[in-house]
Amino acid sequence: MTTPFAHASEAEMSRILDFYAVRWEYEPDTFPILWNLDGDVVESFSPDFYLPDLELYLEMTTLRQKLVRKKNRKLRRLRELYPDLNVKLFYARDFRALMLKYGKLALFDGLSGASGQVASPYGAPVGPVAALSVDPGGAGTTVLDPAGPLDGDIPHRRRRRRGTESGIATNGRAIHS
Amino acid sequence: MKESANLHGDVAEILLTEEEIAAKVRELGMRISADYAGRRVTLVSVLKGSLPFMADLMRAIEIPVRIDLMEVSSYGGSSTESSGLVRILKDLSASIADEDVLIVEDIIDTGLTLNYLIRYLRGKAPASLRICTLLDKPARRLVEIPVDYTGFTIPDQFVVGYGLDYAELYRNLRYVGVLRPEVYTELPPE
Repeated sequence: MTTPFAHASEAEMSRILDFYAVRWEYEPDTFPILWNLDGDVVESFSPDFYLPDLELYLEMTTLRQKLVRKKNRKLRRLRELYPDLNVKLFYARDFRALMLKYGKLALFDGLSGASGQVASPYGAPVGPVAALSVDPGGAGTTVLDPAGPLDGDIPHRRRRRRGTESGIATNGRAIHS
Repeated sequence: MKESANLHGDVAEILLTEEEIAAKVRELGMRISADYAGRRVTLVSVLKGSLPFMADLMRAIEIPVRIDLMEVSSYGGSSTESSGLVRILKDLSASIADEDVLIVEDIIDTGLTLNYLIRYLRGKAPASLRICTLLDKPARRLVEIPVDYTGFTIPDQFVVGYGLDYAELYRNLRYVGVLRPEVYTELPPE
């Protein structure tokens, strides 16, 4: 089965996860984040990836700055409403660093500023992987720059919210495993 | 003949001097020696970036050690297109069953490679499995992994030297430095 990614950067991320045998789901859950006075959902957030063995949602934000601001706002709201969710926002600079590391900077440069409709169907099967626990680094570490808090210092138990009373449906899809 | 990089000139800033690295390696060696006192430990280094750190760390440890080397393919490397999956390019040369194993890494950023390696090595039934890294770049972390020994936590910059490379170059620098951004475009990867 192929996955219809919304952006080529998502397809690239799926290939990286496949390469390192990290299981993923593409947009498996939708989280309502804003309701009107009648209780109807007027805004929701569907993170791009869910990595079940890491209990981590991953949202790719490699597009225009205007959209980044909107996603930042939605992510703040998501974290307020669902504090037990482990969500990491992957900015353009993060994706660029990844591409640089893997010698694919030209790919990033080709995507930079794109409108986000470069569909690229991928999704190779991978084997199951074991979950890892989280523990702080050892004592004696020299911190040159804290570089902000770690996402997911403490693993959260996942609570999947499939559907709500106001009727919004999630679009659960098969895990790539 | 290919145009060569400017080894020192391509470094914008020295992040860790040779002396700072040496002091930290001695400190890590003392801690590891104390923690594994009365036992022997197998150091497993991941090629190629960890080589200088491994060579220095093993000599800073004052208990019996065995060493072994592994190499795994990296995403974007020559093997990526053919299989699409990480491959063990060089496996352990001896069994680690019932051995205390310490993975020696040069740097941990996303944690993807290390996550794969841990799962692989756990399958070989070591008595214990711990991780030692010279550098940790937590801003890039995707997979949270418990790290037992960390030398330096560094900012989110592209660093080279002391084993770390760009396009297979700069590994022989005695220090860790930040590569000039313009080098990325002027010197394409192999």
